[in-house]
Formats: sequence, C-alpha cells, structure tokens
Amino acid sequence: MLETTRYEISRRVRGTTILTVGVSLYVAFIVWYFSLLDPSAYEQIAESLPPAMLDAFGMQSIGSIEGWLGGQIYTFLWLLGLGIYFAYASAAVIAGDIESDRMDLLLSFPVSRSQLLVEKFAALLLPLIALNVVVGGVTYGLVLAIGETIDPMHLALAHLLSIPYLLVCAAIGTVLSVLADRSAVAERAAIGLIFVLWLVESAVGAAEDFAWIQNLSPTHYYAPTPVLIDGSYELMDTGILVAAFLGLLVASQVLFQRRDI
Amino acid sequence: MSSITVDNLSKRYDDVVAVDSLSFSVERGEIFGFLGPNGAGKTTTIRTLLGLIAPSAGTATVLGADVHDEDALIEAKRRIGYLPANLGFNDEATGAEVLDYHESVKGGSRRDELLEIFTPPVERPIREYSTGNKRMLGIVQAFMHDPELVIMDEPTSGLDPLKQEEFNEFARNERDRGKTLFFSSHVLSEVRRVCDRVGILREGVLVGLEDVDTLLRQGGKRVQIQTTDEARTDLTEIDGVIDVQTFAEGIQFIYTGEYNTLLRELATHDVREIEISEPPLEDIFMHYYGSDGGVEPNQEVQSDA
Repeated sequence: MLETTRYEISRRVRGTTILTVGVSLYVAFIVWYFSLLDPSAYEQIAESLPPAMLDAFGMQSIGSIEGWLGGQIYTFLWLLGLGIYFAYASAAVIAGDIESDRMDLLLSFPVSRSQLLVEKFAALLLPLIALNVVVGGVTYGLVLAIGETIDPMHLALAHLLSIPYLLVCAAIGTVLSVLADRSAVAERAAIGLIFVLWLVESAVGAAEDFAWIQNLSPTHYYAPTPVLIDGSYELMDTGILVAAFLGLLVASQVLFQRRDI
Repeated sequence: MSSITVDNLSKRYDDVVAVDSLSFSVERGEIFGFLGPNGAGKTTTIRTLLGLIAPSAGTATVLGADVHDEDALIEAKRRIGYLPANLGFNDEATGAEVLDYHESVKGGSRRDELLEIFTPPVERPIREYSTGNKRMLGIVQAFMHDPELVIMDEPTSGLDPLKQEEFNEFARNERDRGKTLFFSSHVLSEVRRVCDRVGILREGVLVGLEDVDTLLRQGGKRVQIQTTDEARTDLTEIDGVIDVQTFAEGIQFIYTGEYNTLLRELATHDVREIEISEPPLEDIFMHYYGSDGGVEPNQEVQSDA
C-alpha cells in the first residue's frame, strides 16, 4: 500500500517547492503593496466599480488587510489560479501515463486500477498541503511584519476550507484524465472547464433567471473573503464540496476500471 | 496445467479486427515464441493477457486467472513479469529510482543478480538512456521479483547483438529453472534460436503452431547468387528450391532442403557472389501458409519451382 503515492510524491517535491516559493513571493508583493496604499482612497475606487466585478473578484472591505487579501490573493490566486493548477496537474495523472505507455508497466503490478488511481491522486496532497501550510504561515508573518493584524483562526479557516474546493478541482481533472488518451487534451479541457465554471459563477450570479447555473460551479461553495473578514462560512457548502469530490473520484475509478488502455 | 490458455479470443476496434478467434496454450516450463509481422495482433493479444484491454469475445487465463476477473488477475500478477514493447519510464527518474519503486510494489529478490547480466547505468536519469539501456532496465524489472511466467513484447529490440545473445542464454537458463517465457517477435531467427514452440500470427489469425524443429525445416534460407546462366538452370532443379526469381546476372530462391546438397551443387559452378540469409517473415507466410492465411499448420512443403 502507498508505494505508488510515495514514489509520485518524490517526483512532486521539486515542482511543489517552486510553486510554493512562487506563490509566497506573490503574497509578499501583495502584502507589501498594501503597506504602500492609502486604504481609504482605494476603498473609494473600489466603490466606483460595478457590483458584478466586485463580486467576481471577491472585493469586500478592500481597505482592510482581510478584504485586501481576500480580493487579491484568495479569490483570485487561490480560487481561480490554484483551482486551475490542481485541475491541470491531475489531468496529466492518468492520461500522461497512458500516452507515454507507462501505464502498461504500472498495470502489470499486482495492484487494482482503482487503488492505483487513488494512490496517484493522493500524491497531489503534497502540493495541496504544502501550499496551504507554507503560504498561510508566510501570509500571517508578512501581515504582522507590515504592522497589521489578522485573526489567525480566520486565516487558517480560509485555508482549511479551500482544501475541499481544490480537491474538487483536482477530481474534475482526474475524470478528464481518465477519459482522454492524451494528457494535452485532458489538461486543456481541465483549464478550460475550471475557467468556464468560475466565469459562470461570476457572470451568471447577477442574472436571477439563470442563478441556478452557478450552483454547478465549485467556486460557488467556497467564498474566502467573508471567512477572512469575520470567519463566516456555510458548513453546508463545504459538505457539498466534499460530496462532489468523493463522487467525482468514484466516477473516475469506475471509468478507469472500464476503459481499455 | 498450462501457464497461459487463450480460448477463442477476439478483439475488435470499430471495424477493425485486431485479433480473431485466437486459441492456443503455453505449457509450464517452455519458451513460447509468438511470431508475426508488425500489426499482426501480437501486442493486442499480450495486452489482453495482462488485463490492459478487455476481449471483445472469448477469454484467456494466465496462471489460472481469467482475464475478466480483476481480483484473480491481480493475485496472478504477483507471479508474472511483463516487458512491454514500448517502455515508458519517467525520464527524469534514475534507473535505480524506478527499480526501487518496482521493488517496493512487487519485490526484487533477483535485482542485483540481474544487474550483473544486464547493465543499464542505473545511477543516471533515464532520459540519458539509449534504447538498449532502456530495454535492459525493462528486462531487469520484468524478472527481478522472480516470477513464474514472464510475458515479453519484442524483448530484444534495441539490444546490441552481444546483449541479444546474452538475453537468449539467460532465457534458456530461466526455462531450465522451470520458468515459463512467452515472447513476441517479428524476427524469425531469434525465435528459432530460443523457443521451444512457436505460434505464428497473421492479421489477427493464428496461422501456425509449431515446434521449432518443424519451423526450421519449413522456414528455409533465402539464397541470392550471381552466377552463369547454366548454373541457374541447374540450381532451380534441386529439391527444396522454391520461389525462384531471376534477375540480371543472378537468381534468388528460398531453399528448404539439405544444406549439403545445395553446397555440393554450388561447388560445381562458378559462383561470383552469394548471400544466404533468413527469409523475410512475410515470405514464409506467403509460401507456407498461402496468401489468405487460413491454412492448417504442418502443411506439406510445396515446391513451385
């Protein structure tokens, strides 16, 4: 058990390090930029923007550090950027091995297809956990360093609640990975799909007749800015994400089980 | 009990029939060669045996496990080694890392012993490997857990002649240790040297199932000679000369008779140039199994000279 996960994790260490350092540097830039701003002036600019846009980028209380981070980092980088990243990374997991003929060797192991899939998927927990722990810690330290304060519990909660959301994105990528024969196809489909789902939620949210469509988007169930500002979140939303994640993972196992390699 | 039984196995892709009602069995402790030109359905059959693709009809068992039964097949895979035709290793990993991974999943009691015979540079990343080095790494992973049955798809392609010979000797030793080896090839000479029995596949149909001695008798040699007109006429009259083709200053034919007879005859003529080689596999199919392929094995050799 878990030999494949161990091996795949060892292959992800380098990429995870680079990604974590990169995201941390971006956070540092955003936090430093906040320290240069006149918050009230920025709040005025934000108020002049159309509500749909404010909504799309999670801009609330933009003049506070919580609102600033929520808009600049968590809604944009975390929700859209990392959502796409995890869907993209997982899209290569199965399709890439099939394309390179590596799957032939892996399936000669005395291991079931569903176990192999889960073990490979589990290796994505390395970047998932590393990003949340390291970037969360870095953000907290930097906020203190510029003389601001943020409730560490709210920050930790914003990270914790992002995990089910990112798992759903990764599971969407896995389903695509199992369906496609070439990793490039699965990867492009994954990027496109997450982006469209994010757009759907952002754009359709304003049109009441079609508001139900936004329920399809995983982004609808994770709203980091309110968590950061006052720690408020819907447990139901997290439950829906967890259920969707498990459903997608089982679906990918079934599809993988049935397909010819 | 047979190590592999294939029973009316068919695999269709849309309109294409890759394998058509294939039946044969591989006995425990033999080296079975699965011979056929590229595209004959060898790889499809092998991948069906490993459960990578599901048969459209019929079935097969490996070490008693039905390929439709995933649990039984997983249990059997503990005792099976597999060397695919295209080796997809992670390029950035070193050979040792890949072997560590394989060892952690299926065991590696013979790893060190194998690395003395087959010598890929295990400390280097696989992207730097030549085709031959990749093949050797593949051979090591296929045998390292000391499996009862090893299924190999074109095992020697990319190996240099010296390593090919070492592989052949290794294969024979494994057989003598009681292991069963099943391998595909499109090279007749290789199969002849190593195998006890050979199944010949053509366009998805098994057209021959022979022991190697029979095949040797039937396969013949291709002889190309530059000589005089008179010699040409004489040579075509020797028993076992078939498929004669005449070209400027020479002839070419397939010879299936006694070598000494041919050599004695040649010695009485002025031979300016001679080449004796393995006949192309396609020729063998043409001449011994007919162009439609569906002929009984052990058919009498017919001379058309």
